[in-house]
Amino acid sequence: MRLKFITFRSAFLFLSVTALFAAGCGDGDGKDPDALPPIDSTQTTILNVNGEIFSIPSPIQTAFLIKGSGAAYSKEILNPSNKASDYSTNFSKALNLGIYGADLGYVTIYDQNQDAIGYLNAAKKLADELGVSGAFDANTIERFAKNLGNKDSMLVLVGVAYRSSDAYLKNNDRSDVSGLVLAGGWLESLHFATNVYKTKPNEDVKRRIAEQKTSLQSLIKLLTQFYSQPEYTEFIDNLNDLSTVFDGVEFKYTYEKPTTDADKKMTTITSKSEVNITPEQIESITQKVKSIRSQIVG
Amino acid sequence: MKKGILKLVLVIGGFITINSASAQIADTIATQCARHLENQFISDGQQYRALLMNSDETAEFHTTLYGGTLYRIAACSGLSDGNLIFSVYDSERNLLFTNSEFKNAPFWDFKITNSLDCVIEAKLSGGANGSGRAVLLIGFKQQK
Repeated sequence: MRLKFITFRSAFLFLSVTALFAAGCGDGDGKDPDALPPIDSTQTTILNVNGEIFSIPSPIQTAFLIKGSGAAYSKEILNPSNKASDYSTNFSKALNLGIYGADLGYVTIYDQNQDAIGYLNAAKKLADELGVSGAFDANTIERFAKNLGNKDSMLVLVGVAYRSSDAYLKNNDRSDVSGLVLAGGWLESLHFATNVYKTKPNEDVKRRIAEQKTSLQSLIKLLTQFYSQPEYTEFIDNLNDLSTVFDGVEFKYTYEKPTTDADKKMTTITSKSEVNITPEQIESITQKVKSIRSQIVG
Repeated sequence: MKKGILKLVLVIGGFITINSASAQIADTIATQCARHLENQFISDGQQYRALLMNSDETAEFHTTLYGGTLYRIAACSGLSDGNLIFSVYDSERNLLFTNSEFKNAPFWDFKITNSLDCVIEAKLSGGANGSGRAVLLIGFKQQK
C-alpha cells in the first residue's frame, strides 16, 4: 500500500501536551530509546506529489564535472554576489538563494576562496531575509572561514547549510520556497553546463545537459501545485517550454546486474545508458535557460 | 469573554508548541541519520521525509544518480539504526539493492559508472521499533 506523505508538523496537531512534556523531560529509566510521541493518522496532510518524493541532484555535482572537463574558471557565468540586495520578493530571493548555492559550489571547486566568502555572505543574506534561521548561522560562517583552502570541508559545510535550510522550510510548511531554492540551483547548474559546452564542447558535459530531462520533469511536478500563485505561473510556463525541448532527447537504458561488496558496504551499479541529443536541441536549451535565468537574476 | 480569549490563547499556544516539537523530532532523526554522511560525503542539500503508518506502507523517492560518482544513502526511522528497509530500483523496476539482505544497514554506498534514474523505496521493518517517521539523506563524492 502506498503511503500518504505528510508533514511531520501536521501529523502532530492535537496530540496531547502530556506527550510533549514527556518527550521534553528526557528519557526515564528503562524507556525504549526509540519511543517518540505517537502518530495520529487522522491529522495528516498531503505534502508531496501523488505520494512520491522527488530529488534534484546537487548543482555542485555539475560544477565538479565542469572543472573535470578542463574548463577554465569563469566568473562571468556567475550571478555577482553583490546583487543579493537587489532581490525584494520572497520569490526572487528563494530562486537566487538556489543560484548562489550553485555559484558557491562552483567557486569553491575552483579554489576561489575570496569569491567563496562573497557567495557565502550573499546566500546568508537571502536565507536570513527568507527567515531560514540557523542554516547559515555564525558557527557555519566561522567554520567555513576556518576551512578556507580545504575544499572538501567547505563543500560539506555548504551541503549541510542547504540541507538545514531545506529542512527548516519543510518543517514550516514552506515547500513552495524550498522548491524554488532547488529550482534556482538546478537552473544555475544547467546554465554552467550550457555555457561551458558552447565554449568548449565536451561529451561528458553534453551528456550532463541531456540528463537534466528527468530532473526538469521532477521540478515541474514539485512546483505545479503552486501554479495559481502569480509569480509561479510564468516561471512554470517557462519550465514547461524548456521541457518541450527536452522531450526530443532520447535515452536507451540497458540493465546490468550490480555487484555488491558486503564488507565495504558498497554496491557498484554498471547499467548502461546511451543518450541522443542533437546540436539544435542543445542550442534551444541554451537559449531557453539563458532567457529564464536572466529573468531571475535581473 | 475572558474565558473565550483564554481558550483561544491556549489553543494557539498548543499549536505552536506542538508544531515546534514535531519539527524538532523530525530534526532529531535527521541529525542521527546525518552522522552516517558528515565529513565524508557532501549532502545533496535536501532532507527527504515521509510518514509510514505501518510496515505495509512504502515511501517512494525518485532521483537521478550521476555516473562517476560515489553516493551514500542513509535511511533512518526512530533513534536507533536498522528500523528502515530501503531498496533501490532502476527505471525498469529491476532491484539493484536492498538493505534487508544486510541486516537493515542504515547506510550503503553506491558506485555509479553510468548515470541512471532510480526509485528508492523505504518501509518500516516489520519487527522494529521505528517511529513511523522515515528520513532519507543522500550524500556524494566525486570519483573523477
